Amino acid sequence: MNEKAKIRLIIEVKKSLKEIMDDFSDVPEEMGYFYERFRAFFEETPNNGKKVIATMCIHVPVELIYAVGAIPLRVCSGARSMAEIGEEFFPAKACPLIKSTFGALYLNIFPMAAAPAMIINPTTCDHKKKIGEMAEDIDSCFYTLELPPTKETEEARFYWHMVVKKLAKELERVTGQRLTRKKLKAAIGIVSLAQAQLRRLYNIRKGNPVIWGNNAILVANAYFFDDIANWTDRLSRLNDELEDRARRNQYVVGQEAPRILLAGSPSIFPNMTLPVMIEQMGGIVVAEEFCSSSRSLYDMVAVDEWSLYDMIPAIADRYLKPGICPCFTPNIDRKRRLLNIAGDFCIDGVIYNSFAGCQLYQMESRHVEKILEQNGIPMLYLETDYTSDNTGQLTTRLQAFMELLQDQKS
Amino acid sequence: MKKIRAFINNSNISKFRFYFQIAAFVLFVYGGYFYVTISEKLPTFACPFNKGSGGTCYLMPLQHQLHMTWSRFIGPGGIHLLKGFLVFACFGLVFSKAWCGYLCPLGTIQDWITKLRKVLHIRFSKYGETTFKGLKKIKYILLFLLIIIPLGVSNSLLWLPKFSHDIFPPFCKICPGRIVLPLFTGDTSQIYIDFSTKTAMTMTALGMIVTGIFFTGSFFKKRFFCLFCPMSALLYIFSKVAILRLNKNVAKCTRCGNCYRVCDVGIKEIADDVINKNIVKDDCMLCLKCVEACPEEGCLEVSFFNIPVFMSTETGFFKRYCLRNEIK
Amino acid sequence: MKNMKYFAGIDIGSLFSKVVIIDEKGNIKAYSVLQSGAVYKGAAETAMNNTLAKAELSMGDISYIISTGYGRARVPFADSQVTEISCHGRGANFVFPEVRTIIDIGGQDSKVIEVNKEGRAVKFAMNDKCAAGTGRFLEVMAVSLEVDLSEMSTLAEKSRTDVEISSMCTVFAESEVISLFAQGTEKADIALGVYRSIARRVTGLFGQVGKKERVAMTGGVAKSKGMVEALGKSIKTTLMVPEEPQIMGALGAALIAREKAQA
Repeated sequence: MNEKAKIRLIIEVKKSLKEIMDDFSDVPEEMGYFYERFRAFFEETPNNGKKVIATMCIHVPVELIYAVGAIPLRVCSGARSMAEIGEEFFPAKACPLIKSTFGALYLNIFPMAAAPAMIINPTTCDHKKKIGEMAEDIDSCFYTLELPPTKETEEARFYWHMVVKKLAKELERVTGQRLTRKKLKAAIGIVSLAQAQLRRLYNIRKGNPVIWGNNAILVANAYFFDDIANWTDRLSRLNDELEDRARRNQYVVGQEAPRILLAGSPSIFPNMTLPVMIEQMGGIVVAEEFCSSSRSLYDMVAVDEWSLYDMIPAIADRYLKPGICPCFTPNIDRKRRLLNIAGDFCIDGVIYNSFAGCQLYQMESRHVEKILEQNGIPMLYLETDYTSDNTGQLTTRLQAFMELLQDQKS
Repeated sequence: MKKIRAFINNSNISKFRFYFQIAAFVLFVYGGYFYVTISEKLPTFACPFNKGSGGTCYLMPLQHQLHMTWSRFIGPGGIHLLKGFLVFACFGLVFSKAWCGYLCPLGTIQDWITKLRKVLHIRFSKYGETTFKGLKKIKYILLFLLIIIPLGVSNSLLWLPKFSHDIFPPFCKICPGRIVLPLFTGDTSQIYIDFSTKTAMTMTALGMIVTGIFFTGSFFKKRFFCLFCPMSALLYIFSKVAILRLNKNVAKCTRCGNCYRVCDVGIKEIADDVINKNIVKDDCMLCLKCVEACPEEGCLEVSFFNIPVFMSTETGFFKRYCLRNEIK
Repeated sequence: MKNMKYFAGIDIGSLFSKVVIIDEKGNIKAYSVLQSGAVYKGAAETAMNNTLAKAELSMGDISYIISTGYGRARVPFADSQVTEISCHGRGANFVFPEVRTIIDIGGQDSKVIEVNKEGRAVKFAMNDKCAAGTGRFLEVMAVSLEVDLSEMSTLAEKSRTDVEISSMCTVFAESEVISLFAQGTEKADIALGVYRSIARRVTGLFGQVGKKERVAMTGGVAKSKGMVEALGKSIKTTLMVPEEPQIMGALGAALIAREKAQA
């Protein structure tokens, strides 16, 4: 089963990458590195004897992982073939992302052929809460990170501080390395450099489009598994090239293309259907608001006193306070953030994607739509999963939405 | 102009504040030796018990001016009080609570104590939100007493007997400034307990205790004394209408809480309030660390006469918080 | 006559192909409705030629052709494609300028479209990937009642008692209808029940959009009077139905073709 599934996965990866590479022309040269990264998705990479710590969500403080000399690897999967493997463990209407991730864990198929020493699973949605229990069957070193259901109260904050401290202890145990002030400070440093480059990419995308949205999503996706220093360096080069393109007015699409904000459930390679379809139909995704892209790296750590005593809570705060995952309640911040993005990126329309089975996103969609409508921003709600059986309908909806936006623009 | 603005926005205000505080400290503690007397109605602890003081803390004249019989209020005494308050109000209206963050010698001493603690690698202490909220109220009680006691010394309040004159001036008696600041000019004469009467003994002993609390408290907790400072409460009256303001562009706030994290006086609203534009709270001392720690472009902004003078920027944030560490 | 320009809209639905040819002034020159076969390409060509013949025109006289509908990508002679959502909105708004919401129940899907006064879509909702609440559902039910669609409409008018078809799913609803039939429930009552079932479903969609008055209904299903009445009752308004509801998509496409050619 393992080999067969792996072959199907490789085909899926190749197909998805090929579609992006073939259908979109005038791509920055520096994208070549990232394409190559995805082409070599399963090839083993040397990690200098460092332990790999898998994470299943953006609410895992990766700074701590770097500080104990390990490498974080985000294992959230976008592969349909893996979702089919996971199918037999879950109810039919469960979220495809969870099915797929579980399928990959079950078969021990990880990007870069990494074998994680620990899998950190934050308790965000109901699916994630239960996956930890089910993982007992698959002989994996699961660690449940207890994310509080709310982020507003001081009680939740202190609870989370304790949870993160406990995680730090566990990481020390698993890696056998001590967490020191210097190492943690350096870790915050490396991550913030990556964050600086990602924020730079966003600022570039606020202007006329010099990069396809699907390309930008790929770049953010590569952060899941790429070496962080390499990734930062390559992104900085890509940013240089994009800034140069902007100066020369070399845009990937004309002004008439509707500027789209893609929000909701994350597009994770190889499930790139939605951004690719939007851009094939003449739209341009200029901003994303989901956890495989903007949300993962946007918010910054600010430390007041550079001691472990203050640094750990500072890191913990960064992974709780600005969180806008719909698993939090109340979550008015997400709507505020969407409006803010819509303004900053001159958004013409929002496409809100929810995975079939993700009730949190589904339930939040109505409220989001209402607020966007009050602010004169049209929104299209879509429900997708990793299969392609509703492409026809999806095409009609997306195209009609593009027509509507183009009409409003002209 | 654009360059100057970028330079300011990306600068390290905390460093600037550190040197500015030293200059202000010298002015207020040693200025008197150079015949500097800035004003007698200063909204900051320029303590006249210190011979070198370059001005006078308003709380002292305020207590003296309140120390009069009711009848004098409608007359020269009242006019005097009003005039004094107007001068004080002008100071407050212009610089608002920046007096606390940038000019107050007692505040500066507390910041130095914190620096010392950091050098010694000793942890700060934490307390819960409810304790914090309770402690904050003390300053209003002190302000109330500061006003009511001088009145009670000269008048009979609620048909009670007048207070003993030994209690006067009540706040100065317990203010750590009276004891600490003269030390900087080598004057240890304020360290005493007056055993002459019961009241005098209680008040001077309280002064010594509060000074002890001042040192230990501010060692473990940043700006500990400021939580109880009645001057802070008095200055807060003007912060809503002052010329110098701290504004929040609420739409841009991601509520990441960075500003709250770095806040020396633990103002939670700075991070959580997404409704009010004017974000100066009663404990705020306008140190502007929050503006430094905000990574959102233009989310927090300091304005003077409605002209923005310093605002949060992404570049500034990275310069101050991240890239600097990497280079080291 | 020679200088007159003509524009065509061609709507390839899942069940029928519709073609409308209009002139510069927007007058309908000719239209036709033909059953779509499995091969869209052939269906498009047959329908087009048929309409051209009716209008006594040739392909060369048509300045601009827009295809729409489910099979819009498979019309090789079309100048461009527009979705049926934009087209139905435009078409119905052209016929009834006061209309702001259009309910289109087609063979394979149903949609509710809100339009502005120029007939441009501003918001829409579409049923999920399921036949519930579509023409297909109606067809299946007609077959199990052993009547044809037009008969079903007249039948429903005779209904006296309420019968509820609770299943949304076509397959389950079908067995429900059959069992009702077997229990001896009147055909007329069942027919009305079927209409009500679709109306419920569409009302849900209607709720997602603005609910702006006035409301028109287009698409082949609008030809059943029973359906129109049931839906009107369900959304509490009188529905406006064009004379030929099925061609509204094609008419909208032709109108957009005229606009594009003149731009």
